[in-house]
Amino acid sequence: MKKLYSNKPVIFSLILPGVLVFLFAVLAPICLSVYYGFTDYTGMGEAHLVGFENYIKLFGDHAFGRSLRNSLLLAIGFICIQHPLAIIVAAVLDKLQGKAEGIFRCIYFIPNVISVAVIAYLWKFIYNPDFGLLNNVLKAFGHPGQVNWLSQQNAIWSVLIVLIWHGFGWGMLIYYTGIKNIDPVLYEAASIDGAGWWTTFFRITLPLMKPVIQINVTMAVISALKQMETVYLLTNGGPNNSTQFAANYLYQQAFKAFQYGYGNAIGVVFILICILATVALNRIFKEKQEA
Amino acid sequence: MKEKHEKIGKIILWIVLAVVAVIQMFPLIWLVDFSLGSSNEMFTNGLLIIPKKIRWDNYVKAFVDGNFLHYLRNSVLINTLAVILVIFISIMAAFACQRMKWKLRGFVGTLLVIGMMIPIHATLLPNYKIYSNLHLTDTIWALLIPYVAFSMPQGMFLMTGFIQSLPKELEEAAVMDGCGIYRIVFQIVTPLLKPSIATVAIMTFLNNWNEFMMASTYLSTPTWKTLPFSVLEFTGEYSSNYAVQFAVMALTAAPAVIVYVILNKHITKGVAMGAVKG
Repeated sequence: MKKLYSNKPVIFSLILPGVLVFLFAVLAPICLSVYYGFTDYTGMGEAHLVGFENYIKLFGDHAFGRSLRNSLLLAIGFICIQHPLAIIVAAVLDKLQGKAEGIFRCIYFIPNVISVAVIAYLWKFIYNPDFGLLNNVLKAFGHPGQVNWLSQQNAIWSVLIVLIWHGFGWGMLIYYTGIKNIDPVLYEAASIDGAGWWTTFFRITLPLMKPVIQINVTMAVISALKQMETVYLLTNGGPNNSTQFAANYLYQQAFKAFQYGYGNAIGVVFILICILATVALNRIFKEKQEA
Repeated sequence: MKEKHEKIGKIILWIVLAVVAVIQMFPLIWLVDFSLGSSNEMFTNGLLIIPKKIRWDNYVKAFVDGNFLHYLRNSVLINTLAVILVIFISIMAAFACQRMKWKLRGFVGTLLVIGMMIPIHATLLPNYKIYSNLHLTDTIWALLIPYVAFSMPQGMFLMTGFIQSLPKELEEAAVMDGCGIYRIVFQIVTPLLKPSIATVAIMTFLNNWNEFMMASTYLSTPTWKTLPFSVLEFTGEYSSNYAVQFAVMALTAAPAVIVYVILNKHITKGVAMGAVKG
């Protein structure tokens, strides 16, 4: 058994495909990015090493600062709006028995399986000032309904609405599963003691959901950092970088502004920020669990 | 008194759920509704329209001019291949790192999972460079490689967890019977991993089915483009015919929604398992 399980060639053959994929599709591009981050490469012609010039430039780049601020804003939006709603809906849904429970659960998740391409174009139409759904809804409530949803002031909020709407079902589903895993005996005991819905929710559901909430919060922050597709199609970071996100910005710099070197420098910093955020959040939550 | 209280509670419960359902669904209902009318009918103050005549021809145009079948075929093919590769690669690697005895097992195991932290979009620029130098752009590999690479860490993570929970006795018995490692991995361990294989398959599908950023970076010809491109490339001739554009969006969304509604229970389970553990 031992000999069989430490057979080097066999081990090598088992891990080879995985390692190759990792080297070729993850490690190699990162190394290449680090290299191009130190050059003034435009995408064509020759690349010249320029030292830390790109990184110094990045430090004073307002658009990049704006990207990080928007990610923070989105993370706050996820955590303060989407998640509380998702937990409450999940808890309410759990109380509902029978067929309706499954139907509602299914409905909430549907936007999640639809391509961002469709979602972004659909919301472009929803925000359309001439025949958009949203202005018509406002009109139905007696408002003039002439809002320009994608203007410089409003655009970031409009983007947040789309992202919070689109990801709602995902968060809801995970909280819902967490609630289903809570021992029903606890609820029975609470009900015998005469606890109402709110008391049960705050005293039993929320505390027991702590690990699930922590996972969801971590994922929310990471996905806020990584946001790109929706913004790319809905506003492409505009107007005037007001809805810029890091991934979209590096893409624009490399392929639209022909600053491929600079784009890669942004990429390197972006990767570092994502890794740091993941590690930091995991550490914070781990310490809390031990305390 | 208590009964009345309960009744009011039930009503509030229903209202909350219904309001959220309307918010989640209304944009999609609006989409389908307008896709069945003519473009002129869209300029109304009402929320929904009752089309004077149901314009199925919008869908015919969307289906034909949106290259729907071609893109759908590509999506199905690429995603199925990606799922199969992710499953095989992650079972093999997870088994080697979890069960077999060698020095670097911990290191390699962590390395392969670490990919989860890397933002995909940061690799768009360098990968574009790599693929164009290797003449891989506009081939199926330009999508298959990154799709596998970015779903593998999660697959690896889930598989490692599941393999860990399998009893060792089975493998020991197999070794007694003279089984080789490959047979143990593929004939004994793999069948036991069925629920986790389903989870990994669902997560990989959800990750990649709707992806278009990499596809639009690495592909310039329509040969291997996937379903989102029916929407992305559908302007031109119909740029002012909004109703047809709505039809193409509804059509593009349809396959995933239909599959989801049919497999709803399994997908819910898969996502819950995958997300909580990932």
